[in-house]
Amino acid sequence: MNLNLKAQKANTYDAIVIGSGMTGGMAAKELTERGMQVLMIERGREVKHIEDYDTAMKGPWEFPHRGKVSIQSAEEYWANSRFGTLANEETGEFFTDDKKNPYIEKRPFDWIRAYHTGGKSMHWGRQSYRMNKKDFEANAKDGIAIDWPIRYEDLEPWYTHVEKFVGISGQAEGWEVLPDGHYLPAMPMSAPELYFRETMMKKLNRPVTIGRIANLTKPQPWHTELGRASCQYRSKCARGCPYGGYYSSLSGSIPAARKTNKLTVLHDTIASEVIYDEKTKKAKGVRVINQNTMAVEEFFAKIVFLNAGSMNSAALLLNSKSSRFPTGLGNDSDQVGRNIMDHHLGVGANATVEGFENDYVFGQRPNALYIPRFRNWGTDKKDFLRGYGYQGGASKSDWKRGITMDGFGASFKEDMTRPGTWTMGFGGFGEILPDPSNRMFLDKDKKDKWGIPMIVFDAAFGENELAMRKDMMASAVEMLEVAGFKNVSGFNRQDTHPGLGIHDMGTARMGKDPKTSVLNKFNQVHDCKNVFVTDGAAMVSSSCVNPSITYMAMTARAANHAVEELKKQNL
Amino acid sequence: MNRRDAIQRVALLLGGTFSAPTLLAMNHWEGNAGKSASAIDFNVTDQQKLIIAEVAEMIIPRTGTPGAKDAGVPAFIVMMLQDCYKKPEHVSFLEGIKNLEQKDFLKLDDSQRTEALKQVERDTVEQMKAYQVQQTKMGDNEDREQMAAQAKGIPYWRLMKELTMLGYFTSEEGIKSSFDYVPIPGRLEMIQLKPNQKSFAY
Repeated sequence: MNLNLKAQKANTYDAIVIGSGMTGGMAAKELTERGMQVLMIERGREVKHIEDYDTAMKGPWEFPHRGKVSIQSAEEYWANSRFGTLANEETGEFFTDDKKNPYIEKRPFDWIRAYHTGGKSMHWGRQSYRMNKKDFEANAKDGIAIDWPIRYEDLEPWYTHVEKFVGISGQAEGWEVLPDGHYLPAMPMSAPELYFRETMMKKLNRPVTIGRIANLTKPQPWHTELGRASCQYRSKCARGCPYGGYYSSLSGSIPAARKTNKLTVLHDTIASEVIYDEKTKKAKGVRVINQNTMAVEEFFAKIVFLNAGSMNSAALLLNSKSSRFPTGLGNDSDQVGRNIMDHHLGVGANATVEGFENDYVFGQRPNALYIPRFRNWGTDKKDFLRGYGYQGGASKSDWKRGITMDGFGASFKEDMTRPGTWTMGFGGFGEILPDPSNRMFLDKDKKDKWGIPMIVFDAAFGENELAMRKDMMASAVEMLEVAGFKNVSGFNRQDTHPGLGIHDMGTARMGKDPKTSVLNKFNQVHDCKNVFVTDGAAMVSSSCVNPSITYMAMTARAANHAVEELKKQNL
Repeated sequence: MNRRDAIQRVALLLGGTFSAPTLLAMNHWEGNAGKSASAIDFNVTDQQKLIIAEVAEMIIPRTGTPGAKDAGVPAFIVMMLQDCYKKPEHVSFLEGIKNLEQKDFLKLDDSQRTEALKQVERDTVEQMKAYQVQQTKMGDNEDREQMAAQAKGIPYWRLMKELTMLGYFTSEEGIKSSFDYVPIPGRLEMIQLKPNQKSFAY
């Protein structure tokens, strides 16, 4: 294509951010607030905060299938429907149609995507835990993969920076395994949960705390300035919150970036390649394709931030070929696309709780209890590496209990209108070890409708994960039994694969050595330092805690570094 | 090219684009206009529809509050089976209905109907053991297709009861008459139940 100089100037910014989700939003906020003109490129449709939350205020009867996934939807959203009910009418508009955006599975991978403004931050689980000091040292200590090039102390100020902006409610506990952050008031625990917390500490010496969650319990001035208000305890977060009660890029970082008047956002625009300039040995911009018109265009900037989601950021690197990088930008080490990690889940236990008959809850808590890792921690030693945490809690049963009960008729109907007994359950989130043979790559022949090579996934759980899963079920059963609960039953879903945790990460890991890693300690591509990858792709090991807050902290740190380096004219 | 894509294409040629709500409306329109090629026909006779309605009303009868029929549950059940369930469930559901047809269900008096359903409920315990829907390995796309080949699904009574309860307790009539419906709680509080307190619904 021919670009005249005038067009080139019009298409030139200080920074380009690819993706508008959890880390893209944070990159745009941090860069614009430091004075940069930023172009954000989002491949999906535009979603406007509040006005496009079409289902947010609907009553249950306004959904024809009442939360069940129709056959048609299950086919269109086939990867999503493996998870369960992601493709239902309440939230389906915020997930990606897998049929229209296909991928290839050499080994199965449950790839859950969100192509629209805000990306997966629109419906994330919002659990926000810092990785601990040992998480950053674990690979070196175990001799697994490579060492992290950073330590907890490097991220600490950025965790604080991000937590304050996002607004996390929770309880500081002083536990080494789960470093405290800056919290808004904690949400309350129910009576059986308080009993459970006390019993676990007394009998098993296992800590239990209320989830640390990105829902505002007491908004601060910088939250209300962006139009955010307190959580209304509807627990309908995934539909989009008209109150801005939970944090998303759409309610938080994007409005903050817009306030600077330095943000430009393109929607329906798929970044196909990062353009490498052989003369300057730097990236000079990106090539994009309009997903509707197929029009191709180029945009230019001093720095490029890849925040497309771990798998798409890696795919973009792989598709950016030049004579300097014939196998993809930054892929000298052949590590781009490798070491896919996630958190494996679908394993835990449930029980019924006797007693606490008169205890009840007003409002819907969009949160759970959290049991931090206790395996291979302190004096505990197991025959697998690393550990897992549990999320879950108690709830009072409602009319749904009647489905599996015997009975029908007037008294049955009457009974269903009253609260039932308490139940309690936990599901584990387990750490997955990095393994270079767990990977994604681009198909040599097959292309999508935009002419971009299709992604092939080739990953599976290893022996360590499978051994850990058995322990995850057994320990959950043990805890519920020790608590004295009844009808304890464990579960360990066999139909799960990497990806289902929606914490996919690790495809462009950081490291000290360019021979074995893709990014340096500031998330810069080795040998192409004006390209930053700050989403989950950068992760060197996965910890077992929910990762978004770590990705955001890493992004803020990298953005700060980028601007400092630009000022010093090092980029 | 489907209709939605075609309309979008035209809009782009004209130099415009549709807003998200318009596109959403188009989606609904399309959904109503024609089902996807993969949708499976699930047909019930008029007599079978009457049986579905009578059984639903027996599960959730009209009392001081609306019953299943008042809340439109019978039509909801048929729609749900068409839209959300595959052949295995269609087979087991129809098997259950035919069983009631053989018992001349519609001609039975109230106590005979109750006894017939109690028998169905007892049989279901055995059926659940025999049917036992296997946890299917959904390894890749093709494995999902194999799922459809499963011979039998969840037994009739469980489907009937679940869909009746779902249809009723999420209907506007059912939810507002049965529960203390609080769409915007505004606060989270641990409380004690009052005597005869209804459940909260949100």
